[in-house]
Amino acid sequence: MSANKSRAELLAELEDWAKGLSNDILKLKEPILEIPSRTLSNTIWDEKNKILKLGSEKIHRKFLDVKEARRFMQTMLMLRLIVEAMRADVFPTIRDLYYNGKHTINFNFLGRKYRENTWDEQSESNAVIEDIEVATNILREEMGVSADVKGKIVGPIIVRSQGYELDASKFGETALSLPVNVDALEIVKVEANYVLVVEKDAIFQRLVREKFWSQEGAILITAKGMPDRATRRFVRRLNEEHKLPVYVLTDGDPYGWYIYSVYKSGSIKLSYESERLATPNAKFLGLTATDIDSYKISDNYVIAANDRDVKRAQELLRYPWFQKPEWTREINLFLKKKKKVEIEALSTHGLKFLHDYLRDKIRGSKFID
Amino acid sequence: MTITYAYEALPVAEWFRRNREIAGFQNSARAMYQTVRELVENSLDATEPYGILPNILISIKPVDESKSWYSIYVEDNGIGIPGGEIPNVFGRVFYSSKYKIKQHRGVFGLGLKMVVLYAQSTTNKPIAVRSATIRSDKIYEYKIMIDTTKNEPIIIDRREYNNKYRWHGTAVKVIIEGNWLNSKKRIEDYLRRTAIISPYAEIFFKGPDMELILKRRTTKMPHPPEEGLPHPKSVDVDTVKQMILENPKSTLMEFLMNNFDGIGEGLAKSFLEWAGLDPNKVVGGLTQEEVTYLAEKLKAYEGWRRPRADWLSPAGAELLEVGARSILGAEAVFAVTRKPSSYSGHPFIVEAAIAWGGQIPPVDKPILLRYANKIPLLYDEGADVARKVVDEFNWQNYKVKLPAPLAVLIHVCSTKVPYASAGKEAIAEISEIEEEMRLALRDAARKLRIYLSRKEREMELLNKYISLAKYVDEISLSLNIITGIDKDKLSSNLNKLIEQKLGVTIDDLVKHVASLPAEGQNVGQ
Repeated sequence: MSANKSRAELLAELEDWAKGLSNDILKLKEPILEIPSRTLSNTIWDEKNKILKLGSEKIHRKFLDVKEARRFMQTMLMLRLIVEAMRADVFPTIRDLYYNGKHTINFNFLGRKYRENTWDEQSESNAVIEDIEVATNILREEMGVSADVKGKIVGPIIVRSQGYELDASKFGETALSLPVNVDALEIVKVEANYVLVVEKDAIFQRLVREKFWSQEGAILITAKGMPDRATRRFVRRLNEEHKLPVYVLTDGDPYGWYIYSVYKSGSIKLSYESERLATPNAKFLGLTATDIDSYKISDNYVIAANDRDVKRAQELLRYPWFQKPEWTREINLFLKKKKKVEIEALSTHGLKFLHDYLRDKIRGSKFID
Repeated sequence: MTITYAYEALPVAEWFRRNREIAGFQNSARAMYQTVRELVENSLDATEPYGILPNILISIKPVDESKSWYSIYVEDNGIGIPGGEIPNVFGRVFYSSKYKIKQHRGVFGLGLKMVVLYAQSTTNKPIAVRSATIRSDKIYEYKIMIDTTKNEPIIIDRREYNNKYRWHGTAVKVIIEGNWLNSKKRIEDYLRRTAIISPYAEIFFKGPDMELILKRRTTKMPHPPEEGLPHPKSVDVDTVKQMILENPKSTLMEFLMNNFDGIGEGLAKSFLEWAGLDPNKVVGGLTQEEVTYLAEKLKAYEGWRRPRADWLSPAGAELLEVGARSILGAEAVFAVTRKPSSYSGHPFIVEAAIAWGGQIPPVDKPILLRYANKIPLLYDEGADVARKVVDEFNWQNYKVKLPAPLAVLIHVCSTKVPYASAGKEAIAEISEIEEEMRLALRDAARKLRIYLSRKEREMELLNKYISLAKYVDEISLSLNIITGIDKDKLSSNLNKLIEQKLGVTIDDLVKHVASLPAEGQNVGQ
């Protein structure tokens, strides 16, 4: 982490990396990118801090390796785009960078024409941004590169953005969208009892409409599925800076459970960011496999797990951060019954039952840590 | 082979009627093709064996379209024919006293007379001949017809000119009834295939609606065949009789030693002893039965030396490669000339060439170009043993997966080419020849396999090069923008790094790859 460095210093670090590579080329030495590997095998579970961390394994991306050359080119292209943006003092999104860099490489050799796009999918350009982050140890937020933020909040909290105070309790049926750089958001006032992170936007909207948050004095947050970095960072800030308990509500299946673990411990792909983004104190409310029985969810709302769900559950079992008795019990139960439930299944007892369920879980501390 | 037979008794008109089909004059289209062929082959025989690089000019023009009359003109730069000989060469059938053997294009040396007779029988026009021998002061010009009852030349016109520019060669013009449309493709094929096996020849052809220029691709020529005596196993009764007529006073001993190849005193003695013949008997005094007996014993005796191949003139692998590459537009050609072999006392040599890629289209059955004594064989392919050998060949063993862009050339040269039929367009299934064809093809295919493997490796190298080099510009530009270091310097060093990695310079790669086809070929694994 490169905390407290100025933008100019960070820019110089990125430039130095490119200079090192260029000098190798001038000395006819093969340029090699040393990049910490972002794989499961290089993801370390920090038992003490309860977060995922990046290990010391590194990959060596060689320009002269036919299998790596394309990715090497993409990395250099992206580095250039980021450097250019920093020099111009602009703040592109990862989607902007994708479009800025996407063009066709024309290569003619012996009368034959080869055409290839620098990248085709945004996933390709996103991946090299992450490579650059881990290789240089500079986060993209520090480079001024943001992602499309999906997060929104509602609740008794007032923030200041570019001088304007925004009261998240005064958005009616809508919600306050989180900005790209949540660290620039000043939290002016919080009068909440807890934070409820909701996996799904549809459930989030229902809870807003039904004024669940005002009845509970809760801040509701959703990131519409797999959380982006800004949303995770904001949840972390609420917990860290304002000591608010954080509860997570997801679907009762391995994908929902993994989303919870991303909020709590970090993700495999972005384990290098966990120290900033993870909220180790987050608690899982549900839905659990046990809930199907304990809340007598009707069979009409229960879905048979498919092969992919089963495979994913088996993977979770192997992740060290899921290896605690509560979780192994839940996952094994899931694997035994091969049944999953969505949050909506709680409507089995009427639309308002979701409120009762949440209160029951929170008041009764029926959550998994 | 130019061994003359005692045909003189037969009136020429009758002989022509009987042999018209065999000689390839059965219809006007075939006759037109055959006429071109006979004249071109005479031109080649008048140049190549004497170390002259052939220049052959062929022109076909319609004379009277309503009657389908065409004039065919062929001119060469050969040794020419002495003025006094011209009438006999063109106007007397079986004019030849030689019975020596060597490899010849012309079949029986009769083709020329067939042309004259065919012209006479269809248009009743004389053949026009202009010729000068090397260093001759004069050029002779004749118009000749054949008196078919007396087998004598009729000289219609005779002129002499001063040979101011020391021209030498022969030019012949005949007017025949022909069929250009139906013979056009065969004539074109014939000339192209001739150019393949004789790439040292320069051939200009002008037809009624087309032009074909086959340029000389090399100035290297094959060694001319030597003229030699026949092997005792190779002669038949008629030939023995003819030879006796020429040397009636020799003793049997002398006859054998003077008229056959490889027979010395010792070998002659042992043979005569084995055959129970008196060495001192004068051959002119032999009875009909005794001559027949002698001929039979000559064939049956196992003690003879192997026939010599000195009278053969194979094209040679190098010429085949040059010819096939240029005329077929092949990417690569692999040719072999086998060692001489023999069947029934006749020496022969098989040559094979495999042409690959380039302008050759992928085919299920390899294209086959057949040759006998450097003559392209265009008809009766199905009856030819070469077709059988090629079809039975196991191409998979040589990295070739059919369909493939493949053409095979097989050349048999021999003092006596065994034809499958009277048409002399297909080689018969002689086991010795078939085996040599198989071995020749195998030898050439081995070279092809080596080439294809090398190409596979080069393709791999090329693909590797491209998959790295295509990014050089983008990377250099990016690093240049970030660091300000010269982009061209970065590019050039990145390219050097690629060269180091692949162990080949870009220049070399370009050289290797230049011969590769634009698209990946159907090369088996």
